[in-house]
This record gives sequence, C-alpha cells and structure tokens, in this order.
Amino acid sequence: MTGADMVLEALEREGVEIIFGYPGGANLPLYQRLPAHPKLRHILVRHEQGAAHMADGYARATGRPGIVFATSGPGALNLVTGLCTAFMDSVPMIAITGQVPTAVVGRDAFQESDVIGCTQSVTKHSYLVTKVADIPRVISEAFHIAATGRPGPVLIDICRDVQQAEGGDFEYSYCSVLPGYKPALEPDLVQVERAAEMLAGARRPVILAGHGVILSHAEQELLEVAERSGTPVGTTLLGVGAFPVQHPLALHMTGFMGTGWNIKAVQNADLLMMVGMRVDDRVTAKLSEWAPKAESFVHIDIDASEMGKNVRPHLEVVADAKRALTAMAPYVKPPPADRGEWLTQIDAWREEHPLKYSRSNGHLQPQDVLIDMYRRCQDEAIVVADVGQNQIWAALWWNYTKPGLFLNSGGSGTMGFAFPAALGAKFGRPDKDVWCVAGEGGFVMTAQELSVAVEHQVPVKIVLLNNFSLGMVRQFQDDFYGGVRSEVDLTVMPDFVKLAEAYGLKARRVDRYEEIKPAFDEAQATPGPFLIDFRIDPEANVYPIVPLGKGLDDFWELPNGA
Amino acid sequence: MHSQLRVLRVLVEDNPGVMARVSGMIRRRGFNIETITVGPSTEPGRSRMTLTVDAGHAEVDQVAKQLDRLIEVIEVEDITDAPTVSRELLIAKLDKVPPTVEQYGARQLATGIVELTADSETVEEFIEFLKPFGIKELARTGPVAMRRSA
Repeated sequence: MTGADMVLEALEREGVEIIFGYPGGANLPLYQRLPAHPKLRHILVRHEQGAAHMADGYARATGRPGIVFATSGPGALNLVTGLCTAFMDSVPMIAITGQVPTAVVGRDAFQESDVIGCTQSVTKHSYLVTKVADIPRVISEAFHIAATGRPGPVLIDICRDVQQAEGGDFEYSYCSVLPGYKPALEPDLVQVERAAEMLAGARRPVILAGHGVILSHAEQELLEVAERSGTPVGTTLLGVGAFPVQHPLALHMTGFMGTGWNIKAVQNADLLMMVGMRVDDRVTAKLSEWAPKAESFVHIDIDASEMGKNVRPHLEVVADAKRALTAMAPYVKPPPADRGEWLTQIDAWREEHPLKYSRSNGHLQPQDVLIDMYRRCQDEAIVVADVGQNQIWAALWWNYTKPGLFLNSGGSGTMGFAFPAALGAKFGRPDKDVWCVAGEGGFVMTAQELSVAVEHQVPVKIVLLNNFSLGMVRQFQDDFYGGVRSEVDLTVMPDFVKLAEAYGLKARRVDRYEEIKPAFDEAQATPGPFLIDFRIDPEANVYPIVPLGKGLDDFWELPNGA
Repeated sequence: MHSQLRVLRVLVEDNPGVMARVSGMIRRRGFNIETITVGPSTEPGRSRMTLTVDAGHAEVDQVAKQLDRLIEVIEVEDITDAPTVSRELLIAKLDKVPPTVEQYGARQLATGIVELTADSETVEEFIEFLKPFGIKELARTGPVAMRRSA
C-alpha cells in the first residue's frame, strides 16, 4: 500500500466522514488516491483558511476532530490563522499538509516552507513524516492527541515522496497511551471535597463557567452544583450556553463586555470558582483590579498549566470539568440561611444594570434583528458569530439555554471565521439549522467560500450586520482613543445582494425594522443558502464595555439619552 | 549560584525538533532561561536536559507546567531545593597557563588550554582567577545536575 493510501485508510479507520481541503503540488499523491476512498467526502474550498475554519466549525458542532488537507508552502501557511483559532479555543483538528520531497527538504525547493516551525506555537503537536512506515502510528497518535485531554489541532506534514512510497501491508492500531502525554482526567477527591467546603463556607460565591464545561458536557453537573449550593453562575464568551441564561441563578456573560450584574457579582464575590476556563484578560480586564473582594479562588481545569498562569488559586483541581463536578456534587451543601441576601443583591444589580439599546435615531438596530431571530430559532439553531460587535451582540441578545449552540472565535478573535465555520457546522450537523452572524468587514475576508455553499447547497443563512465600518474598532476609537476615526470606514463595499447573486445564492436587503420579519421568513422558506444584508445603525455600540486597560469596576453602559 | 536560579531536570523524547519545541516554548512564554544542556539519557531514544531558569517559584512552576504540556516532554522535575550535585565543564585558551591552576582542580589539556569541571560558582571564580593570564577563548557547557542518592 502506498503512503497516500495509508493516510486515507487510517482516516477511514478513525471514522472520518468529511475532509476540507485544497490540492497542490506536494499533496498530489493523496489526491490521486482520494477517489479510491469514496467513504471520505471531500469539500474543495476556495482558500485554505476556509478549510481550517470549516474543519473547526465541524469539530465544534460535532465534537469530532475536523480534518484539513493542504499542500506545502503557501497552502499550509494559509492554514496558520485557522490553526491558531482552533488552538486558542481548544478545538480538535487534524491538518495534513504535503511537504516537498525528502531529498530537497531544507534546500528552499519550490513551495517549500518550514511548516512545522511556522505552526509550532499554534498546534498542540505536529509531525514531519519522512518514512512511509511511520504513517499509521503518526495518524493514530494525532487523533489521540487532538481529541483527548484539552483538545487542540495537530499538524502532520508528509513529504511527497513518502506519500508515493510503497509501505507494505497496512496495520493500524488505535493509540491510547503516549509516554509524554497523560491528560489529567480524574480529580483528587480530597480537593473536590475541599472545594465543596469552600463553596459552602462562602457568603458571596460566584461560579464562572468556561468552554471546558461545554467540551466535557458538564452542563447538568454544573446546574446541579449551582442549584444545590445556591451559587450564581456566569459564563465566559466561549462558555455561553453552559448555564441557561434564563435561570434565576444566571449571571450571563462575564468579562470586559459582560453584563453589569455579572461584573458587580464578580467584583463583590468573596469566593470565585472558575471551571474549565483560562481566566484570560478578556475575563479579568485589569488583573490587579479583578475580583478585589475575593478571599479565595478555586480553579478547576483539565490543563495544569492554567493553574496560576493568570490568577493564583487557593485551591487547584486539575481534572476534566464533568468528572470534577460529578465528584464534587455529593459534598455540596445547601446554601446558608443568609444566601438570600446575596441573591437579592444580585437581582437588584440586574434591575439596575439591564442590557439595553436605543432605537431613538430611527436606524435599524442589530438587537432587533437578533431578537427576532431568537424568537424563531429558540434553542434549536446553531449560531456561528464572527468577531467584533456582531459577536458580542449575538452572545448577549440570545437566551442560550443549551451548550453548543453558540460558536465563535473567542480566544483568537479571528475575523472571517463565522461563515466558513458555519458551513463546517452544517456539514457536521445537517439536522440543525445553522445561522451565520457576521459584520461586513469579517464576512468579506472569507466570502469566497460562498461558492462552497452554492456548490453543495448548504442551507446556511447569513445574517450580515452591515454597519459600513469596522464597528468595534470604530467604537474603541470613539470611546477610548479620542474620537479619531482612523481607517475604519467601509462604505465602499460590494452590493451584497448582487454579490450573493453573482455567486448563485438568493439574498435580500433590509433597511427598516418592518422588513426584518419578512426577510427572515423568506430566508427560512428558501432551500439552500441565503444572505440578508441588514443595514444597521452605523453608530450602534456594544455596552457594557470596560475601557481598555481599566478594571471591571469602570464598565461603561449605554449613555443616557443615546 | 545566583539565589533566583532554579534547576529543572527534563526527560524528553530524542526526536528531531524537540530542542526547537522546548526553546520555542520558553521564548514565546517570555521565560528567562540561563542555560540549557542536553545529552543522551540511560533510556534509549530519550534525552536528558538540565535547565537553569532565572525566576522565582511562581514563574518556574509555569515553566515546568508549560514544558510538561509538550507531548515529547516525558518528565519535568524542579530539583532546586533537593540535595543535588551539579557540574559544568569549562575549557579556556590562555596566553600563559599559570602553574597554580591545579588548586582549583583544573588541568592542562594542551598547550595553553585548561579544563575545569566544577559547580558553576567555582567555574565563575576560576574565570576571575584566569583573567590576569589573558583569556583568548572560553567555552562552558552550563550545568548538568542530579539528585544525590537518598
């Protein structure tokens, strides 16, 4: 069997059903053998970055690793942003790149680049394969590494001559053990008991839940611990959906664009229990001013290196979130008698600092678009947001009650992520309605993938929140950089309805509130992809927001009279 | 040895690129590594590294954990506070070899070239001692270390 067949056979053994890729000189042998493996569906993207984001969206929506093919040099380098996006958000992915033949590696051959070197800091692990016999072992290890522990992308760079080489009989064994890779899954029982005691001993506790809760499917266990202990729960941006937003104990999203009542709760808590999260700068804002009244931090995460990376916890539980919360549940005590005061205080903050927006200037408001969208989708659709204002509006103005319905590039903040990721999500979950929410700036960065949507009639509905500018940057310039609007104007853009038509999908423009409903009706009634160009208020802003470099206490809300 | 210096013993898989992974991680996490030494271990296919890190406890804890995240890193051990032996090798080319080098336990290797194996503090002292004799060239390995037998 040739190396190329070994790769494809190994993918079949691992249960791969779909590959997002792009052929080129250094992976020709793989593509030559691909038609002989009809179980593997291949989606030809229009740019390799699109392939990486599609694989990412597929992985986030299904929990299975997304698979990417690309050629050497520019092909592989076009994956870097997508690999980083997956790496920052702990998304399992396997990228298989062609490399120049072993005889010319290191000689600046045509389309040669040091892909291992270029991707080292944005992959969980990587392999350069120079011997055909290594292929089965490398692929089985890659799947084990990508999908277990804290998931992440793994890159396999295979020289072209190795793909072509005859490798003898194919023997495949699934990897489950590696000497240097032992994910900590089970919690230390002494520590979880202690965590439950600390929770019971706190007067103003807050639990914050991150992506780890969703990745480990710990939402039921989280709900149980929260309800039994009477502890309010906020989520990170990537944790949105880990705790139902309408629950009386819900604090909604935390961090520098979090809700006012969440910020108040965090800043007044005497105990913070962080579950499955990195406690990054978007959560804490200015670190030295974060949670100033907290006497203790409990940190639960599967990655030991997160302990003390940003915040030094008083109690560390290095474990899978679901197993840690399951182990903790029996020790969790009912809340003390005075817990009502803390919850009443939080309710008061919720009243005092509600999410709000203004329609006073007569423009179409993004929140109205999202509210109508939520009304018709409820908890059934997957929403994939891009980066910027659209992302935060989509996080805050939907009442997510289940995990896995809101996907976005939280850590990397990759513009152009949403549309290809939404396609990948829909390929993985054809049973779910999938919506893409994006600004016009991010959308055009990967809009070439409209051809993929049309070619495969992928019924992703694109909600373009078009404010004719780089809205988040414009808001930062207005609010924090002296009002100097510098290079954020995007009034010269294609006519998006015509653009969609040129690609071969239906589209519609919406300028007024009354047009929202019929536009969504048409989008939902149309089979296949559909784009709605919502021309929203160019001055609409995201609130609350914490000025860059400030502490959470300094959060701004919608100015009065706006 | 400087009081802030901490010593890590690291067992790694002897794959091409593993040094690049270790040094790349150290660079991008902003850690300050004083020395790295690497050589084969007793286990086939595995190498032993000794790192000295200029850091307090908290930072070295992050270095160890970040190193441990690398798939090819099998074991990381902070042996700073353990009873250890630590040695490094120095060779120096001098204008003139002083007859008293032997008081440091050094010896002459070739004409004008001396060798010393000692702990890093003694190596530093020895360099100071040599300076008046005209150091033309100097090479040192950085320390290797291990725990003392219990």
